[in-house]
Amino acid sequence: MSNPLGNILLYIDGSESSITAAQLAITMAKTYQSVLRVMYVVNENLLAELLKARVFVQMEKMDYERDLEEDGKRYLNYVVKLGDRKGIKVETVLRKGVVHEEVAHEAEQWGADLLVQGELGEVLSLRDSFYEEGERILRKVKCPVMVVRGRERIERMYEEA
Amino acid sequence: MKLTDAIGPENVKLDMEATDKREAIEELIELMAESCERCDADTILEAVLARERDGSTGLEKGVAIPHAKCDAVARLRIVVGVSHDGVDFESLDGKPSHLFFLLVAPTGESGPHVQAIAKIVKMIKLDRFRERLIKAKRPEDVIETIERVENGEA
Repeated sequence: MSNPLGNILLYIDGSESSITAAQLAITMAKTYQSVLRVMYVVNENLLAELLKARVFVQMEKMDYERDLEEDGKRYLNYVVKLGDRKGIKVETVLRKGVVHEEVAHEAEQWGADLLVQGELGEVLSLRDSFYEEGERILRKVKCPVMVVRGRERIERMYEEA
Repeated sequence: MKLTDAIGPENVKLDMEATDKREAIEELIELMAESCERCDADTILEAVLARERDGSTGLEKGVAIPHAKCDAVARLRIVVGVSHDGVDFESLDGKPSHLFFLLVAPTGESGPHVQAIAKIVKMIKLDRFRERLIKAKRPEDVIETIERVENGEA
């Protein structure tokens, strides 16, 4: 029987919650000898919404897009370092686009056995949650999804791993 | 991120006195500097005015979201202002702005800044949200309203 958790895909957005998710994903990868891939997506959709709402001007949007890309690289490197501390090699993926679509595409193309992500954010209403990407990812991906909560417990697990 | 992690009652000014756009920005920055010893008001003013020269952040429905990135702040700072008389902020619909959200973020931390702006844009679409902020009697009412909407209770 093949490893049911052979490929673990971790989605991070830089939030504290997604770093907790990273700690759990690393702990799991070590326990189950999984391949761990971490992914960040520059949310072009959100920037486009802000441009459309005239909150951003075009130059500013491009500027923020570059900033978010740099943020993404920094977050991914941080997770690689978290993996190094536990002897786990972490693959990184940086994409731009519609977050939930990019994550779902990566999960399918790569053959993820599990997607790990941080806690879902707050939504202003169930009908309208355009910026709550965690919720959209949960609905879109076809593989099992783990939504991680319980920071203190997971930090202990990570330290003990 | 939660907006209420970045906004406290000390970051809210009801009854703004400004009568024009520049005064409104100055009044909001002054409020920001009052609760932030290390914030350099002059540098922030320069950054916000420079951004406004690229295009006004006065939106529709009486709301303006002036913002800028500059290293005069160490983390994302947000202040909220209410002007009952309204200020000509060169808004999209040409109407006076009554509700102001001023955001300033350090240059190396754009993620929370973008998320906060997006969240505010989302909230101001709710008629009741805007009405409650404009009718707020105390800064705490503003915080409570933001918190309730963030928690999906309003």
